[in-house]
Order: sequence, then C-alpha cells, then structure tokens
Amino acid sequence: MNWMQFKLRLKGRLGFFGLVFLYALIVFGCVYSLATAGDLSMGRNPVANFIKTATEFARPSFLDVWLGDPAYQYKSDDGTVLRTENRQEVEQQWLVQLGFATWTTFKIATLGSLLGAILALPFGVLSAKNIKAPRLLTALSRLVLDTSRSIHTLVFGLVLVGIVGLGPTAGILAIAFHSLGTYGKLFAESIETLDMASIEAVKGVGASPSQTFFWSVWPNVLPQWVSSHLYLWEYNIRDSTILGIIGAGGLGLLISEAVALFQWGRLSSILIVVVLMVTAFDAISRRIRTALL
Amino acid sequence: MSSNIIDIQNLEMVIAGRRILKVESLQIARGEKVAILGRNGAGKSTLLRCLNGFVKPTAGHIVVNQHTVFPLRRERDLCPVRAQVGQVLQGLHLVARLSAMENVLVGGLARMPRLRSWARIFTTEETQRAQAALKAVGMAHLAEKRADKLSGGERQKVAIARMLMQQPELVLADEPTAALDPTAADEVCELLVKATENSTLITVVHNVSLVPMLSHRVIGLKAGEVVLDCASHELTQAQLDHLYE
Repeated sequence: MNWMQFKLRLKGRLGFFGLVFLYALIVFGCVYSLATAGDLSMGRNPVANFIKTATEFARPSFLDVWLGDPAYQYKSDDGTVLRTENRQEVEQQWLVQLGFATWTTFKIATLGSLLGAILALPFGVLSAKNIKAPRLLTALSRLVLDTSRSIHTLVFGLVLVGIVGLGPTAGILAIAFHSLGTYGKLFAESIETLDMASIEAVKGVGASPSQTFFWSVWPNVLPQWVSSHLYLWEYNIRDSTILGIIGAGGLGLLISEAVALFQWGRLSSILIVVVLMVTAFDAISRRIRTALL
Repeated sequence: MSSNIIDIQNLEMVIAGRRILKVESLQIARGEKVAILGRNGAGKSTLLRCLNGFVKPTAGHIVVNQHTVFPLRRERDLCPVRAQVGQVLQGLHLVARLSAMENVLVGGLARMPRLRSWARIFTTEETQRAQAALKAVGMAHLAEKRADKLSGGERQKVAIARMLMQQPELVLADEPTAALDPTAADEVCELLVKATENSTLITVVHNVSLVPMLSHRVIGLKAGEVVLDCASHELTQAQLDHLYE
C-alpha cells in the first residue's frame, strides 16, 4: 500500500470509523467517571417527586384569578387562622407584575441586540477575509468576537451588575456583549459570501465606488444582516428571561422568586408567557426573513 | 476622433512566472465586429478583461476609446472608460437580488447624479428608456422578476438590455452563449448583433459556427499570442485546426 492509498483510506470510511470510535471513547469516559464517583443517582424518590412537580406545573397560577379561593386561610399547626387572603386578588396583582416583567425582558433583549449589532459592525467588517484589513486588526477583531461569544451572558451579567448596579442596564449590556460575537461572525460571513460577479457587473458600467456599494454590496448584504438581526433578537428574548436571576430585572427575577419558594404553578405561568412570546416573535421574524431572502 | 477604438502595444502579462498574454500590437477600428477564438486558457478572457481594467497586465499600453486603461495610476479613472464599455459575460452577471428592471437601470448609473442614484430615484425618461430596452429584448413581461429567478437565456437578454441602456461605444462579450441551448443561443446572438449595430463588438466565441453571425474579423489566440488575424469569411478549416490543435 503506497502513501496515497493510505491517505485516501484514512480520509474514507476507515477515517470516519476512527472518529466514531474516538467519540465513543469520550462518551464512555464521561459515563464511567461519573458512575464510579456515584454521581449518576436520580435522588431518593424521583417518580413521586416528578408526579408532584408535574401536577403543580399542570395548574398554572394564573388560573387562580378565576378559580382561586376568595378567602384562603393560612393556618398554624394547631389550627388557628393566621390570616385570610383573597387568592384571586393576589394572583391578579402578580399577573400585572408578570406583564411588567415581560415588558422589561423585551426591552432588555431589544436594546441589547441593537447595541450588540452596532458594536459588532466594525469587528465583523474587519474580520471578513475578503476585506483584506491589516492582519493585526483582523486577528484582534477575531479575538474580540471569539472572546465575547465564549463568555456566557450570565457571566457578563454578573460582572456588569457589580459595575453598573442592579437593573436592566446590566442586562442590556450583558446581552450586547455576548451577542456581539455572534453578530460579528454572521456579518463577516455575509461579507465573505458576497457575490463578486454582481459587484463587477455594476462596476463594469462605470459606476463609482459609492454607486457600486449602494447597488451591489448593499442589496447583497442588507437582507442577510436584517435576517441575522431578527434571529439574534429572538434568541436574546429567550436569553434575557434568565438574566433577572442575577438581578438584571425582568422575568428572571420572577423565575428565581418562584423557584426559591417552590411555586411551580407560578413558574408554569411564567414559562407559558415565555413560550408564547418567543413563538409569536419567531413566527413574525420568520415571515420577514423569508420575504427578505 | 481616431478611427481605432482599441490600441494595444507591447501588452504582456505574467502570473507566477507563466506568461498568459503577449500581444505586440493590436488595433481594432471603430465599428468593427471581432471574434476572438482559441483553446481554453489561450488568454481570450484575460485579454477581454484587460480592456475594461478588471485585469491588470504586467506591462504594455492599452488605450480604449482614447482613454488610457493601462498604465493607470488611479482606479477611479477607469469609471469614464467603463461607462463607454458594455459587457455581456457568461453566467449570472447581474445583481441577483435586484429585479430585471433594476438591473437594466444599472446601465445608466454612470450618467446619473450620485445622490439620486443612491436613493434609486429615476426620471421618467430613464424609466422609459429602461422599459424600452427590456421590450427590445422581449423581456418586458418579466421586468419585475428577480434576476436570480430568471433562466440563463433570460439573464443574457437582461444583460443586453442593460447594455442598451448604457449605450456604450464598445461591447465586450465573453462567451455570451455558454451554457445556453442552441435556440436560446441563436436568439441571444441575434439580439446582441442588433443591439451593437452602431458600436464595436468584441466577442469571445467557442462555437465557431457563430462566427459569421457575430463578426467580420477573427483574431486567434494561442498560448497568449495572436497567431491569426483575418476576415471572418477568409477563415479556413486548416487555420482553425492549427488554432485548436
């Protein structure tokens, strides 16, 4: 067997099986080390716990606005009534809170995405291969993009809460800094896949550089950028729901409250809102994207 | 006005130590119809692209319509030359995302004031001319269709309409019928000939049977050098065999 033959074999099925074997080895390594450390347990009573949690989830708290007990009694162990509460009223107030929190989350996601897109623009342009920026600049902007992509929004959020304090500002900046990396990469990709033939076609009629930009680069790149923006905006709406947990405001705050108090019914309400919001946004943005591309 | 629209002197192009083109002297008169023949890699397309400055030769002088195209100090100086040179190339040479109509309007960009062209605001005269150009190539009914949704033949027709809009003195066509079926190829050729009645036409041709229709003069390239230059009707089979051997 000569060298070429060997290389071809390595590239072919044999190489693929080799990779599969390697992957299997990694998976086995993970499972084995967890199992030997006894970390694969499911807890003491997984089935009963699951059923209990699921039943509570199945009754989202917002139903109490209509079905709740108007005179719910909190009792101590010996049966004395500590206080009575109108469950309908309480849940109604909480629902209003939920509405405001949703609005805050939407604001964080929207402004964070926009800021991220704007910040990413120079890095995206500089890191595109066919722009041929000075090598150092290209390397630096790639580094910025990769770093921002690899640091999770939550980590950015934790750091930023320490800097700008609790509240949506930290959330907006966290979203912006993390999505900057993805924006930059998508921008660079759309520039790299620019249709050179269409640029030459416009240049070829004697159009000036600015005319070439507006008539060829612009119509090529803009729809892709709008599409990436819509996609990341939607992604960030999902992402920002969690940010409240670290004090950036919005739905996350309610999530952490509900989780801390084991109020699965309320968590269920919050998740329904999140799902509805994301689904609605996805439907709208998908329509716009297909119309654009 | 000089009678030659193209004047090439001592043109040489070397890429990575390999000589692509060497043309000592070549003139093409105003109004001439020229076909360039030769094998793949003979330098036909390179020669054509040298003429509107998309390819920079290594040495030599190129004058097109009394403008120096090479050597040239500033890229910007190519704009006025290119405004007078139309091109119909193989494949999709349109802005894919713009409609056929918009692609035709591109032909008039060089004559439009910058601001108006950025905002895509057109005068009635410009729109009417673009419509007439589309009608002339039989594409009026597809004016609104996006360029990347058109068939190969339709794309070439739009490119010809764009050229009509541009009203160039010189038209460069690089295998405009490549990848077209025979019927579409004939149609595109006829339109091209009709559209360039009053201008100079240089066509790179692979299909020798199209030569009589497209040209009065044939230039044959072999390994970057002109080995044949004669009237189309004098072209013999022996010459062709020699060119393609």
